[in-house]
Amino acid sequence: MSTSGKHVPFSKNILHFENVEKVCNEIIVNLKRDVGRTLQRRGAVVGISGGIDSSVVMALSAKAFGPEKVTGIMLPEKDSSDDSLFLAEKLAKKFGVSTKVEEITKALDGFGCYQRRDEAIAKVIVDFDPEVDKAKIEIKQNITENLPAVFSITVIKPSGEIRSKLLPAKEYLQIVAATNFKQRCRMSMLYYYAESLHYAVIGTPNKHEVEQGFFVKYGDGGADIMPIGHLYKTQVYQLASYLGVPQEIIDRTPTTDTYTAEQTQEDFFYQMPFESMDLIWYGWENNYDAKEVAAVMGKSSTEIENIYKNFERKRKTTEYLRMKPIF
Amino acid sequence: MLIGIELEDKIRDYIVKSTFEDVKNITNETLIFEEGVLDSMGLLFLIEFLNEEFNVTTNDDELVVENFKSINNIVAFLKAKL
Repeated sequence: MSTSGKHVPFSKNILHFENVEKVCNEIIVNLKRDVGRTLQRRGAVVGISGGIDSSVVMALSAKAFGPEKVTGIMLPEKDSSDDSLFLAEKLAKKFGVSTKVEEITKALDGFGCYQRRDEAIAKVIVDFDPEVDKAKIEIKQNITENLPAVFSITVIKPSGEIRSKLLPAKEYLQIVAATNFKQRCRMSMLYYYAESLHYAVIGTPNKHEVEQGFFVKYGDGGADIMPIGHLYKTQVYQLASYLGVPQEIIDRTPTTDTYTAEQTQEDFFYQMPFESMDLIWYGWENNYDAKEVAAVMGKSSTEIENIYKNFERKRKTTEYLRMKPIF
Repeated sequence: MLIGIELEDKIRDYIVKSTFEDVKNITNETLIFEEGVLDSMGLLFLIEFLNEEFNVTTNDDELVVENFKSINNIVAFLKAKL
């Protein structure tokens, strides 16, 4: 609630960095120490997607190690947005970082990623045609509903017709397990480059992804260092502006870039806009009374209490993802 | 048609078997999600159990806490649908 033991009133500016340069410099100092001294590696590999998080991590890495010691890896597959590659290339050019493009569709085909996913979708939406239909999974419940989130499959036909159904457990698990090949395949390729260059893999998850479990274990959760793992999304945006990340990347709505249908991270997982989620998460994490947070956020105390419970539940149920092997 | 007490027993038995909880910890009033007995996958499996055992399907708009928060609530939900 405060650094001095004194109560700091909750406000919409509470997460804003007064000195963003100092924050960046601290991350840069830590990156140099962790890669050089702790990991004994001589540079950094960053998977870049054209999204805000990986862009900030690449910019910080370029400043920490010098652009010549950073390699940006783009890992598109057949469901990736066309913008992803274009924006990632623009970012790398801006920071003088060399890049490699590794198309992973064939590897994913080899794993049966698409076939296993589409087979599960077709069990729920019987006339699903993966050749022409778009699909995504999403949470339809309101975050203030005090019940764990469950997923629905939505299929969009070429005519624009939408079919949506609650996913049974078996099909939900198969879709997620199949889709997770994407992140795990990317992780494998990042480590190929890291090991062949004697570099470290710098991971890109932010605080929400780490703590709410919005990452794939041994996929995008597989990295040597996560330099923005303690930053709220709005703080990542603040760093992006300071570091000079291209405006098109800053303006882009964060998506999962995982399913064939367009899908924001809000629809898929978070159930609320980042601006609100950051503040309410901060309030929850720092034991602010729901009433005080509610007054600032323009919500009722009950709504805030239910969102607090949702956060608590997400952190608890995703503990498995953050756990190291037990031995 | 099953009566309330049989429904309660079947649901409690399912919860105990699927969570390895001690049966004495699961009363009709236990808040099964709020107290962390079941999580989101647990809810999904519970919905599947209701479908397989009682042929009751759950629609999107029925995914509200009043229908699932305790065994008593689940029984009321089932009775309304059976």
